[in-house]
Amino acid sequence: MIRNTLKKETKELLRDGRIRMAFILVIILTIVAVVISAWHYKDINEEYVSAKQSEREVWDSQGEKNPHSAAHYGTYAFKPKYPLALLDQGVDKYTGTSIFLEAHNRNEAQFDEASDQTGLARFGNLTPDFILLFIMPLLILLIVYNSLTKEKEMGTITLLDSQGAIGFKLIFGKWLAVFLPLFTLLFVLFITTGIILSSLQDFGVFSWLSLTTLFLTYIIYYAIFINLVLIISALVKKSGIALVLSLSIWILVCLILPKIASNIAEYRYPYPSKQEFAANIAKDKKEGLDGHNPWNEASKALEKQVLKEYGVDSLSQLPFNYAGYRMQKGEEHQAEIYFKHYKELKTQYSNQSRVYRQLAVVSPFLPTRFLSMSIANTDYATHWDFADSAENYRIKTQKFLNEHFANESKYGDWSWKADADFWKQLPKFNYEPPTLSENLKHNTGNILILFCWLLGSFVVLFFTTKSLKNVKI
Amino acid sequence: MLKYNFKYEWLLLIRKRWIQVLTILLFILFGFAVYNGTQKVDARNASISSAINEFKMEEKKMLVQFDSIEKGFKVNTSSWLLPTRPIVIGNLHPRVVNMPAKSTAFISTGQSDMFAHYVQPIVTGDDSTMNFKEMTSPVQLLFGSFDLTFVTVYLLPLLIIAFSFNILASERESGSLKLLASQPINIRTWVLQKLGLRFFWLVIAIIITLSLVFIVFGFDFKTSLTSFMALLSIIITYTLFWFVLAFATNIWIKSSAKNAITLIGFWILFVLLSPSLINQISNTLYPIPSRILMLNEMRSIKAEATKKQDEILDNFLRDHPEYATNDSTQVRGFYQKYMATQQLIQDELKPLLSEFDSQINNQHKLVNASIWLSPALIVQNSLNRIAGTSTEDYQDFKRQSLTFSKEWRNFFKPMMFKDEKFKKSDYKNLPKFEFSYANVNTYGKTLGLVILSSLILFLVLVLKPRKNQIELIS
Amino acid sequence: MIFTNNLTKSYGNLTALDNLNLEVKEGEIYCLLGANGAGKTTTINLLLGFMKPTSGNAFINQLDVVEHSKQTKQYLAYIPENLMLYPSLNAIENLDYFSGIANKNFNKKTLESILTEAGLQASAFYKPVSKYSKGMRQKVGVAIALAKDAKVLLLDEPTSGLDPKASFEFGRLLQKLRQKGVATLMATHDLFRAKEVATTIGIMKDGQLKQQWSVDDITLSDLEKNYLETMSYNTIEL
Repeated sequence: MIRNTLKKETKELLRDGRIRMAFILVIILTIVAVVISAWHYKDINEEYVSAKQSEREVWDSQGEKNPHSAAHYGTYAFKPKYPLALLDQGVDKYTGTSIFLEAHNRNEAQFDEASDQTGLARFGNLTPDFILLFIMPLLILLIVYNSLTKEKEMGTITLLDSQGAIGFKLIFGKWLAVFLPLFTLLFVLFITTGIILSSLQDFGVFSWLSLTTLFLTYIIYYAIFINLVLIISALVKKSGIALVLSLSIWILVCLILPKIASNIAEYRYPYPSKQEFAANIAKDKKEGLDGHNPWNEASKALEKQVLKEYGVDSLSQLPFNYAGYRMQKGEEHQAEIYFKHYKELKTQYSNQSRVYRQLAVVSPFLPTRFLSMSIANTDYATHWDFADSAENYRIKTQKFLNEHFANESKYGDWSWKADADFWKQLPKFNYEPPTLSENLKHNTGNILILFCWLLGSFVVLFFTTKSLKNVKI
Repeated sequence: MLKYNFKYEWLLLIRKRWIQVLTILLFILFGFAVYNGTQKVDARNASISSAINEFKMEEKKMLVQFDSIEKGFKVNTSSWLLPTRPIVIGNLHPRVVNMPAKSTAFISTGQSDMFAHYVQPIVTGDDSTMNFKEMTSPVQLLFGSFDLTFVTVYLLPLLIIAFSFNILASERESGSLKLLASQPINIRTWVLQKLGLRFFWLVIAIIITLSLVFIVFGFDFKTSLTSFMALLSIIITYTLFWFVLAFATNIWIKSSAKNAITLIGFWILFVLLSPSLINQISNTLYPIPSRILMLNEMRSIKAEATKKQDEILDNFLRDHPEYATNDSTQVRGFYQKYMATQQLIQDELKPLLSEFDSQINNQHKLVNASIWLSPALIVQNSLNRIAGTSTEDYQDFKRQSLTFSKEWRNFFKPMMFKDEKFKKSDYKNLPKFEFSYANVNTYGKTLGLVILSSLILFLVLVLKPRKNQIELIS
Repeated sequence: MIFTNNLTKSYGNLTALDNLNLEVKEGEIYCLLGANGAGKTTTINLLLGFMKPTSGNAFINQLDVVEHSKQTKQYLAYIPENLMLYPSLNAIENLDYFSGIANKNFNKKTLESILTEAGLQASAFYKPVSKYSKGMRQKVGVAIALAKDAKVLLLDEPTSGLDPKASFEFGRLLQKLRQKGVATLMATHDLFRAKEVATTIGIMKDGQLKQQWSVDDITLSDLEKNYLETMSYNTIEL
């Protein structure tokens, strides 16, 4: 019976001009989105490669210079784009792409795309993730909404019942008739993307496993949507009402709830404003060790301690340049302050994430959204990971420079300069994004909720359609 | 006919509970949106005023110190933190250069979640790297906020569609159309009247619920009446546009299911697709110049400049003899050197930065012109302007605060170069900042929407002339 | 009152109505008999101006229905096979609305008396029409015709689906209107009712008017015989 229904439904769908049109439109949109994203992706990556290279050249060719001047002069860490960003841009538009690494300060990533664009950009871009997350569910809705109400309106459902049709088998046939073409469409899209990406060179590590996981995520998302719309179609008498109801659910799930979630998250766990954050850090810094300021109380304590440790009376008797040593201690202390404040920020962020997960119980869009951008390494967590790794590199760079200053120069010799070749010894900044398994582990909650949605919607669908008598009314 | 349509449309809408449901729904949506908007505005104002309080506290302490110093008392502060040093005032007591929320800011989050609402420029600061970006979770930026703009642009059209998609088709499907058509009336006019009446009642519902919500949240109608009128007129014309579209589909398309799907198609096109498409196309055709490449160039220029730091200082003093001191030793402190280099670096960066800015401005102009392709964009843009949270407003703020930053620096520069002391009497001469919003006029856009709607109406009337009403019936 | 002159309607090769010449005078009830697709409804739709004739003309009160569509509608009333009113309005309100948009204004008392005249029991006046039977809705339809002071009444199978009592009452109503001088054209399958109420009876087939009698010239059994002969002639030919 499942096969029969599948065959009949497929025929009906194929003969429906509107559905054919909708399918063609979605395919065209997808192609446009993929092509545009691929261009964009290529440009950004070329920029990244050249910027990284030229920044390193600037660093290497500083000439003779005091290491601390070089530390103030600083360098930049650039954030690369990862292959699956082609499919899901995630929050990339809103996160900065470069971080200035300098002495004493941890800087925020700057130069995000969105802040250079007009308000129009806030509507979103025509990217594959937009189609995958918003348009495809709409397509499902258009195909499925009258799948059962139609039979009720025409009275064919009574005929089917009198033929002894079993409810859930009939439904499963209908389910497959929608699912299979979608599966095929998605499969082709992902395979094509996979082939494009694996044929490109030096665009990060592309893994088929990540692509497959992403594919599965969307398949589950669509299965949930098919179930939801079928449940509505089974419970409601008229096609018009089924359409309005499914559309309302789509709007609620995909548009309204994410916004409400974002409002609640912000209201309950607000971020400090940029200036507040900076002021809090400045306050802590003022009270602590200042690498530049020998009169600071903490500095004086350090001085005493070092003199005692080495058993000498004056700083000039130390086997190293105390100025460099103090600078490094100050740097470590400041790094701790930053660590503390950023940890607070991260706590707010994970609290906010919890709000999103809580609301995911009412919107399957949310776990899919988060899972998808996490797999594509375009989510906020990846950005944090990048920023942290840039900070680690900054701390290491400062240590590298301060130690050189401390070990090579004499106390009081501020005019001492390092060799022009010295800068090349600094290891390059290399960032490895979180792996797939790390990402999945990080998203266990979302995965769990998504599976609950899948299972739950199947169970509800099964019970509402177990017997056609329930559906008929 | 109008009189009877008016009377019975009202009866039908009340009996089918349309009016009640719509009013309650609008009240909830508007209420929640305004609530969210007010939350944001409150947070924004709170952060500004806490910064100002902090500043005032520091200022008070500093003024007390000043008094003691001028009376000749000894002050318990390290010498380099004394307020008599211009650098202390210029760097440690920066003004809170802020952008207070407009009284209408709660209407639209706009770009307010992305940009900072105050900066504190300091004398030794670098304007080219001054950061105007707010610290917000990018997830929040991605999802956006449930504000009045969202309700208007996204949800209102859907309510209108639900309210108007089957005016004619339902009569046809239920069978009452035949009886109607046998009356001496014109069906097209009849549809127009029915839709006109529904438009009328919806507008009334919008005005009442919106005013009520605004009253509940303590909106000051007295001072911001014009903004409120501008807001209402743009919402009403947007409503008009969707009603006209509903009229066209009602006339053109026979079945109510197809009507609904067509109108939803229009909604997807105007609200979801065209903004993202226009955005994508304009970015592809007129890309924003790469910030990263700009950064590269900036770095090279800076690298060159710092290498020649000492040379620069000499050149600088040659160009600005007014800064040279009479001190014969000509010993220069760190800050004199620093300021001179900064000045020169900024001069050298200026062409690069201004080219970059003009490129961005051109791109913005093109994008702003393209809003005419979708009414949703016109409305979003207008509401952001009314709320004072549009890109233009934040650019204004950036421009004004950079100007202030320059004034601030120029105030201290001569003192610093001449090693002069800052006196308490100088304090009142310090530059002051007050942000002024540009005048906003959204009536052009409102008019544009009216013209667009009339154009569609005109097209329907021409393409589906009266005599063809036979088609409407069968 | 009703007059057609070689009225023809064709859709491509298919001729739905073939040179129909028909006249219904004041105080006459003309019953059109025929199978489904014979052209009865097409005739009525043409007279209503719901479609344009391919050739020929139709007149109501000597006015061409195509050229004077709006005026002719002032003289006519139409009751479709399944008369649908606004279900959430009651009889008074429906009557008020339909006469109102036809520019006839009445006060409540007049509306009530019109409905009574149309045979609707007073207890139903203020109940929503959604609770009405088909016969009751038809009475409201007649009331609309009365309110309009219609000179011409076009009926498309008005008695189908009515129970015999309702059908009988409807026949009585038509007689009443006939006495007022209304010219009625009624398409029907109901031979018995046609013989009861008609002044003239015509049989249509394939868009043509095949036969026509004055009601006094034919008995019910002859009518049935003739009807069946006309129809089966078709099957023999096929």
